[in-house]
Amino acid sequence: MRVGIPHMGNVYVAIKAMSNRFGGELIVPPVNNQRALSLGVRYSPEGLCIPFKLTLGNLIEAAEMGADVLLTIGGFGICRLGYYTKIQEQILHDLGYNVRMIQLNVSEKKLPGFLQVFKQLSNGASWPTIISAFRFGLTKLNAMDRIERVVQKVRAVEQIKGTANGLFARAIKAIDNADDYDSLKKIQIDYIEQLTQVPKDNQAQPLLVGITGEFYVVLEPFSNLDVESELGKLGVEVRRRTFISEWTKFSLFLNPLGIDETARIHKAAFPYLKRDVGGDGWESVGEKVLHAKEYDGLIHLAPFTCMPEIVAQNIMPSTKESIPVLTILCDEQLAKPGMLTRLEAFVDLLERKRRASNNKR
Amino acid sequence: MTKIGIPRALLYYQYYPMWKTFFEELGAEVVVSPPTTQVMLSSGASRVVADTCLPVKVFLGHVLCLVGECDFMFIPAIRSVKRKIYNCSKLLGLPDMTKAVIPESPPILDIDIDVNKGRRDLYQAIYQLGRRFTWSPFKVRQASLAAWQAHLNYQQLMSRYGLTPPQAIERISGTPEAEPKTPSGNPTPNLGTIALIGHPYLLYDEHINYRLVHWLEQAHYKVLTPEMLTAEELESATARLVGRARWTYEDDVVGAGEHYLESGVDGVIGIMTFGCGPDSLMMDMVRRRAAKLRATAFMSLTLEEHTAKTGVVTRLEAFLDMISRRKRRQAEVCV
Repeated sequence: MRVGIPHMGNVYVAIKAMSNRFGGELIVPPVNNQRALSLGVRYSPEGLCIPFKLTLGNLIEAAEMGADVLLTIGGFGICRLGYYTKIQEQILHDLGYNVRMIQLNVSEKKLPGFLQVFKQLSNGASWPTIISAFRFGLTKLNAMDRIERVVQKVRAVEQIKGTANGLFARAIKAIDNADDYDSLKKIQIDYIEQLTQVPKDNQAQPLLVGITGEFYVVLEPFSNLDVESELGKLGVEVRRRTFISEWTKFSLFLNPLGIDETARIHKAAFPYLKRDVGGDGWESVGEKVLHAKEYDGLIHLAPFTCMPEIVAQNIMPSTKESIPVLTILCDEQLAKPGMLTRLEAFVDLLERKRRASNNKR
Repeated sequence: MTKIGIPRALLYYQYYPMWKTFFEELGAEVVVSPPTTQVMLSSGASRVVADTCLPVKVFLGHVLCLVGECDFMFIPAIRSVKRKIYNCSKLLGLPDMTKAVIPESPPILDIDIDVNKGRRDLYQAIYQLGRRFTWSPFKVRQASLAAWQAHLNYQQLMSRYGLTPPQAIERISGTPEAEPKTPSGNPTPNLGTIALIGHPYLLYDEHINYRLVHWLEQAHYKVLTPEMLTAEELESATARLVGRARWTYEDDVVGAGEHYLESGVDGVIGIMTFGCGPDSLMMDMVRRRAAKLRATAFMSLTLEEHTAKTGVVTRLEAFLDMISRRKRRQAEVCV
């Protein structure tokens, strides 16, 4: 069984680690690139969102590389995502690929469901092996996200732009190659140390911009044209709640125990949006309300035609807690110069606003 | 008497008789907005971000039209009417979205309908809605039973007599809802049958679909719609095509599409709007099915605010031409 996976950020590193541990045969398609996007756009129904198109591109590339089983995400009550697998399967069959889809169900069964799927993918590995492999994969996710949090801070103040990004790319590679907990820990400490030693502009008081929006476009730099690095180049510190390790921590382990990290956000959104609208729409509104005092501005990322985010986008301007919000709709038409111009204008606006409020004081 | 405003858009076409009965039983008066006009559409569209879908823009136009005409606006949030089958985000967020973009709207009566939470929650939600009019739970119960009966009658009326929702509403309330039809007893014979698939708020809003039903009838085609099928027919067809349904009003598209593609009609036209989440997937399913069957002609029409009537008419004419050519060729083969 040769298993192909779609991409989302660095998740492939964790899945690769798991697969190596339980002895599955994994095919990782090339990371998101123009070809995957073009393939996805060509074979998708036109009205679909960028996460669908990109993952379809990945799946086609994986199938080309000889995968016969494809691992996808699905579930109920969560926007169109619930239907991706079915349509992608049909498109792949129509293209003549003889593939079988296995779905990771993110809305129910949670942890046991995930483990069952991995058990299916392994070549008859025992349960303890699966569980230890799963744990190792999660550790890799955590390590990557811990380093990324530091990177977000360093990017804004580094003297030579791009240093942090270079280190981060090396760290990912090192984590990908690590195959035990000790070396993983060493890599994590080592790179965080290196990042703190990057020469920085000590006078700088970077603007703080939050990033919120739809899960996939927030986590996949290719789909948002690496908005975080671009903001870093403009001297802005980026903060976000959405991290894949946070998601796994809460969704797989803590939510079933009744601990819900989003309860606070939902409460904040309640006066403006009383109910879950699927996807991440509720959270987007909540984060604006919750962080209005803390952040200088908010960047709201949404795929074009994303239903939940359109609801959020319509509601956001009317909240009492006011903070500048820039909505960036991500699709195959999004181009870097256009996005940069908008980001620069946004950052200018935030700077002016800060200066005005400083003068007032 | 308290006046309840019901916008003539979105779920109005599915549930109006039920809602009307419920509120009237509780002693309120129901005000419905007039049929869609261009002014309503533009005023609704001006309130929301550009990529909001057309039906929601129309809906907001209707709400704006009712502002000042009623004391409460009734906008339910229908999350799920069947187990584990959920509705589109825009329908879920409708009350909140309306409140945000139309702050001058009268207080919004919202009710969360979600059958996944169980009977108790559903009854409680209904009671909470009814409590605005009466303190007595029995009265609310009576009203909701009457409303449910009205809904069943409405559905039966449509599937038994082959009526469209506007015609059925007209029959129930006795007021002319739809425009008078072309006089029956048309001398020219029927040229064929065309099935329309899509959501009722697209098929029966004559402004946004450019009187499509009327146009087809004028061209001497018999028109079939999803409401003319029974729930069982729709469900079994949906199951054949996609297995288990996941969207509340998916049957309108997938079920009806699958049923009509195999029922020997001359052509199937799928109506959807640009940016519709569920339909972008569902219509594609039907299109793929049609391409596989190669038996029935299929065309999908995507509507948006900028769709021009001439464009729609040109495509319809080409589609009908194709159907008649196909029929002619078949007839020649038989000879």
